Amino acid sequence: MTQDSILEVKNLEVFLGKEKVLDDLSFQLKKKEILVILGPNGAGKTVLLRTLLGLLPFKGKISWKKGIKVGYVPEGLAAPQNLPLTVKEFFGFKGFSSQAIFKSLKQVGMGDSSLLEKRLEALSFGQFKRMLIAWALIDNPQVLLLDEPLIGLDIHGRETIYDSLVKFWQKEDQAIILVSHEVGEVCKKADQILALNKKILFSGPPEKVVTARNLAKIYGYSVSL
Amino acid sequence: MDIQFLYSLITAIFIGGVAGYLGSLMITKRMALVGDALGHVALPGVALGLIYGFNVSWGALPCLAIGIFLIWLFEIRTKLPMEALTGVVFTASVAIAFLFLPESEISTALIGDISQIGLGDALISIILSLAILFLLKKIYAKMVLINLSEELAQAYGVKVKKYNFIYLVSIAIIVALGIKVTGSLLMGALVITPAAAARNLSRNLSQYSYGSLAIGLVACSLGTFLFKFWGFPAGPLVILVATFIFLISLAFKKR
Repeated sequence: MTQDSILEVKNLEVFLGKEKVLDDLSFQLKKKEILVILGPNGAGKTVLLRTLLGLLPFKGKISWKKGIKVGYVPEGLAAPQNLPLTVKEFFGFKGFSSQAIFKSLKQVGMGDSSLLEKRLEALSFGQFKRMLIAWALIDNPQVLLLDEPLIGLDIHGRETIYDSLVKFWQKEDQAIILVSHEVGEVCKKADQILALNKKILFSGPPEKVVTARNLAKIYGYSVSL
Repeated sequence: MDIQFLYSLITAIFIGGVAGYLGSLMITKRMALVGDALGHVALPGVALGLIYGFNVSWGALPCLAIGIFLIWLFEIRTKLPMEALTGVVFTASVAIAFLFLPESEISTALIGDISQIGLGDALISIILSLAILFLLKKIYAKMVLINLSEELAQAYGVKVKKYNFIYLVSIAIIVALGIKVTGSLLMGALVITPAAAARNLSRNLSQYSYGSLAIGLVACSLGTFLFKFWGFPAGPLVILVATFIFLISLAFKKR
C-alpha cells in the first residue's frame, strides 16, 4: 500500500447466495480523492459499499489504511414511524453535545435550533436525508461512503448536500466514495469514476472516461452531461 | 400491612417496572406479541412448578430457553417467518401443558398468583429485575439504532447478533418473572400495554422509555393493592389498571 493510499481493493468477488454479484474488482482510493461509482440498478454498487464496510463476506483483498474512520450514509433508510426519537437523541447515540449537533446540522443547511427537539418522523424526506449525512459527518470520518445521497431531493436539497460534501472534502485528508445510478453534477467533481455492472466497465478521471461511448456501456444508450 | 403482602407488592413493582421498560423496546421492534407468545411457551414449566410446588418462574425459564432455541432452529431450517414458527411452538407448548396441568391449578397457571411469595423469591425477583434493567439500559441505544437500520448499526461497529441475543435473553427472563405476577395468559400485556400508553404520552425517547417503566410500575403496585382490598386475583387487576392508563393516555395523545 502506498503512502497516500486509503483503500486498496484487489480481485474482489462477492457472492449473494450462489449468484456472483461482483467479479474481479480492483481499484484504489487515495487521500482527498472523490470516487464516484456509477452503474445501472442492480449493478452491485450497494453490495460493493457494504462489502467495503465489512458487512458481507468476500473473496479477494480489501485493505483500508490502518485505524481509518469511515462514515456511512445508507440508501433507502426511512424515518421510523413507530419511535418517538428526536434528532438530538439520535445524535446522542454517538455521544455528542447539542452544540456539536447544531454545528453539524448547520453544515448540511439545517441551521435551525428547533430541529434538535424534532422527532425524526416529523422531518421532511430531504431534511431526514441531510440529517443522516450530518450524523455521518459529526465524528469527522476520514472517508465518507454515500449510497445515492441525492436521490429524491429537489434542486435546492441537492445543492446544499453537494455544497456540504465539497466542504467536507476540502478539509485535509478526507475522501469520499459516492454511489450513483445516474451521471450528473457529482461526476464533475470526481477524481475518479468507476463504472460498474458486476465487473468494472471502465474507470478513470471523468474528463477522460465520461464519453458518450462509455456511457452507452452502462445504460445501453448514449447520454451526455 | 402484613409482611406477605409486602413481599408480593415489592416483587410486582420491580418486575412490572422492568417489563414496561423492556416493552418500550419490543413495540419499536414490532415484537409486541412475542412476549404474549413466550408467556404461553412457558406454560409446561409453569405447570411443573405448580404440581411440584416450586416457583413457576424457575419452571418457565428452561421452557423458554428450549422454545426460543426451537424457533431459532426452525427458522434456519425452513426460512418461514418467525411469527409462524413462534405460533407453532407456543401452541404446542400449551397443548403439552394441558396434558398434565391439574384442573385445580389452571387458573393460577393462566392468570398468576402472587399471594404466596416468600422472602427468597422476592429477593431473587428484585435482583434479577435490577440486573435486567441495568443490562437493558446499557443496550437500549444500540437496540434503537439496530431497529432503525441494521446495516447502519453494523457499519458503526455494533455487534448486532450479540445485542439481539442479550435482548432475547432479557425478554426470556422478564417473561419468566412476569408469569408469577400475571400468569402465562396475561404476560404479554405486562410488556405491551405500559409501553403503548407511554408512546401516546411521550415527546421523545427518554420520556417514552422511562414512561413505560413508570406505567408498568404503577400498574403493578396499584393492581396489587386492589387485589389486597377486593380479593380478585392480582394478575387481571394489574393488567386492567394498565389498560385503564392506556385509555386515559389516548386523551392526551401527543402527535
